[in-house]
Amino acid sequence: MATFSVHVTIENKPGISDPEGETILNDLVLKGTHETVSKIKTAKMLKFTIQEKDKESAQSKVKEICDDLRIYNPMVSKVTLDVFEN
Amino acid sequence: MSLEERELAELKSKIGRDPTSTELQIVAAEWSEHCSYKSSKRHLKMLPMDGPLVINEKGYDSGVLDVGDGYVVTAHIESHNHPSAVEPYGGAATGVGGVIRDILSAGTRPIAIFDGLRFGNIENDLQARWLFKNAVTGIADYGNCLGIPTIGGEVEFDECYENYALVDVAALGFGKKENLIKNHVEEGDVVVLMGGSTGRDGIGGSQFASDSLESEDRSAVQIPDPFIEKLIIEAVLQARSDGLIHAMKDLGGGGLSCAISETADAMEIGIEMDVDKVHTRESDMNPDEIMVSESQERMLIVTSKTKLKKLEEICNKFRIGCSVIGDVNFNNQVHIKKGEKTVANLPADFVANATLLDLPSKEPTYLKTIETEKNFESISDYSKLMMKLLASPNIASKIWVYGQYDHEVGIRTVVKPGADASVLRLDNGKYLSAKIDGNPKQCYINPREGAIGCFEEACRNVVCTGAKPIGMLDHLQFGNPNDPEIFWTFLESLKGLTDFAKSFEIPCVGGKVSLYNETPKGSIKPTPVIGVIGLIEKKPSVPQKISNNDCLLIIGDTKDELGGSEYFEYVHKFVGGKCPSVNFADSKKNMTSVLDIIDKNLIKLAHDCSKGGLAIAVSEICMTNQIGCNVSLDKVPGEKLDVDRILFSESHSRYLISFDNENLSKIQSILNENNVSFAQIGQFGGKKIQFNNGTKSVIDLDVEKAHETWLHALPNLVLHGKKTN
Repeated sequence: MATFSVHVTIENKPGISDPEGETILNDLVLKGTHETVSKIKTAKMLKFTIQEKDKESAQSKVKEICDDLRIYNPMVSKVTLDVFEN
Repeated sequence: MSLEERELAELKSKIGRDPTSTELQIVAAEWSEHCSYKSSKRHLKMLPMDGPLVINEKGYDSGVLDVGDGYVVTAHIESHNHPSAVEPYGGAATGVGGVIRDILSAGTRPIAIFDGLRFGNIENDLQARWLFKNAVTGIADYGNCLGIPTIGGEVEFDECYENYALVDVAALGFGKKENLIKNHVEEGDVVVLMGGSTGRDGIGGSQFASDSLESEDRSAVQIPDPFIEKLIIEAVLQARSDGLIHAMKDLGGGGLSCAISETADAMEIGIEMDVDKVHTRESDMNPDEIMVSESQERMLIVTSKTKLKKLEEICNKFRIGCSVIGDVNFNNQVHIKKGEKTVANLPADFVANATLLDLPSKEPTYLKTIETEKNFESISDYSKLMMKLLASPNIASKIWVYGQYDHEVGIRTVVKPGADASVLRLDNGKYLSAKIDGNPKQCYINPREGAIGCFEEACRNVVCTGAKPIGMLDHLQFGNPNDPEIFWTFLESLKGLTDFAKSFEIPCVGGKVSLYNETPKGSIKPTPVIGVIGLIEKKPSVPQKISNNDCLLIIGDTKDELGGSEYFEYVHKFVGGKCPSVNFADSKKNMTSVLDIIDKNLIKLAHDCSKGGLAIAVSEICMTNQIGCNVSLDKVPGEKLDVDRILFSESHSRYLISFDNENLSKIQSILNENNVSFAQIGQFGGKKIQFNNGTKSVIDLDVEKAHETWLHALPNLVLHGKKTN
């Protein structure tokens, strides 16, 4: 068994609006002098530390937990998992 | 896409050519059940829509009532069932947004939100619990951000909503009569789209709502943005006050397709618009997507070229998008272009008025035997049973729900949620009371009497605040109308509502029909939800604290009507029995008597008897006042009944009133004069809720223990998964 960090990024699916990101873009970033920025998207990230036998099972276990506990709604959210070995 | 073959043929023969893909999309959206009401429209005409206070103008999305002194109240009800069933947070929130914009489109400021929520059995269904929790949060977050109080509603759980959700939202608006938008157009007017950008969210939503959920790819989710909505409200109201709006419509189901074609049809004009002018969220959207996108927080405004500059200034000030997307002409065509290229060109009245259907109906076979009651084991301990009922999700206090809603913002709320109906203060010194009610359990057993019962219950609730009902909103939610048995239940409910509305002269000022509400297990129970708006000319009845020796009096007869009651369904798990029915003459007498007594300022509070019957209604008064009561069941007026029926029968037209002993004779003489059935059945005092039958004690509860259970049962269940009994 080894220890892994699994980063779960939850964001709105592409094409679905993201009011928080748009607000940060329009009301903070563009109000300054950062015209080169064209888009900001917000996301929520959960960092799991988990003991599993390999990377694959760490990823699938975390995915399973998120699905079971309804950490996100598959109708709305896009979920990306990144696994790092500690 | 859901144009039927017959409809496609009709479209082709009307325009004499093959429709373009954009035309197909526009017509499919507009002819969906959700937008066209094609199954229900020809029957809805039976409802009385006119009254001395009703103001009818073409193109209004909400009902308008004149409340005197130059002021009007607007009202509307909508549902967001399908979206909420897949994304409860966003679905419920955008439902609130939609109905708010309907109020806004008449030129009035939204002042109150109501919500009626229905889910599966949350005691054992985790999905129902998740839907419930998130829908409530969605409504709270949206309404609270807007600064509009959510002041009432109802929550109910029933197995028939398994894996589904009914989210009904009603809203009230208030404004000056002179500020109402008089929808009109002039030559050379332009069409403006203001508000949020158009994106790919909610594409095909209205057709989605007209299909059953199971067969869907479930992609039509919309993301709420209450802050843009708030800016739209303020921008529109300023533009209204500055006289910049000729005509206005909110974008709801069917998006631009419906807004453009319905505006053109209502105003008898043509509109030529260019999809390239629409401000979009993504650059690569095609005309079809732009026309049917149901992105939220958008309004369509018709104004003149000279006023346009001022309108743009207002939009800039509030930093909301505003694009001129088209021009008004008088050829009665909906002409959609992309740049120079025509992508759709159809007659407006043809698009906006789908051919109405005359669907067959047939009495459902299940109704033939539903009234037959079974014999149940007799109850050994009624006190224990009462504790179980007080903790049941349908009866337990809903403070966990309305406690999340800001119900005081706007400082109009005089009577707050938790009582029979909330009351709002209006600027002309009058008060407004409103309530929405539904009862699918009773409507299933008897669609006609059940629907009338919902209507009467909503009336009773506003009457308890001292308000006279002046208008009604109906929201008719049923399963697939192509099933003749389901369509029969729809027609029966509608006929019942019509009879009651005509007899009581309460006009229907708005409504909605939501069909195809089906779950994988079949159709939902018939669920009409009725909103009643009441007006108080002088002073509302604000519930006062009850003290020792105050009297408890019941008005109205208790009958052998346990069908569809919580007692049958929750305790005995039995669906059936005789549905409570309303005797119109008694109902009227009781209503006028209660209003008369309140008007003479003789009582401390009035409470209607509904869910859970007399036993629950009395307990609610005791628990909220932290006082005991001694009730004699043998004194309850009505036919001779067994204890179960007296306690739990949900007969209509019954009111409980509590008052100081010294007013007893005055109240008795008013009730005698009106020839009303009534009896003083109890006296308040002590710390025990007691029901006695003659000398025999039937129920004996500690008021504090009962209160504790009733208050915490719902949050314990929803948040901690803990069943109280």
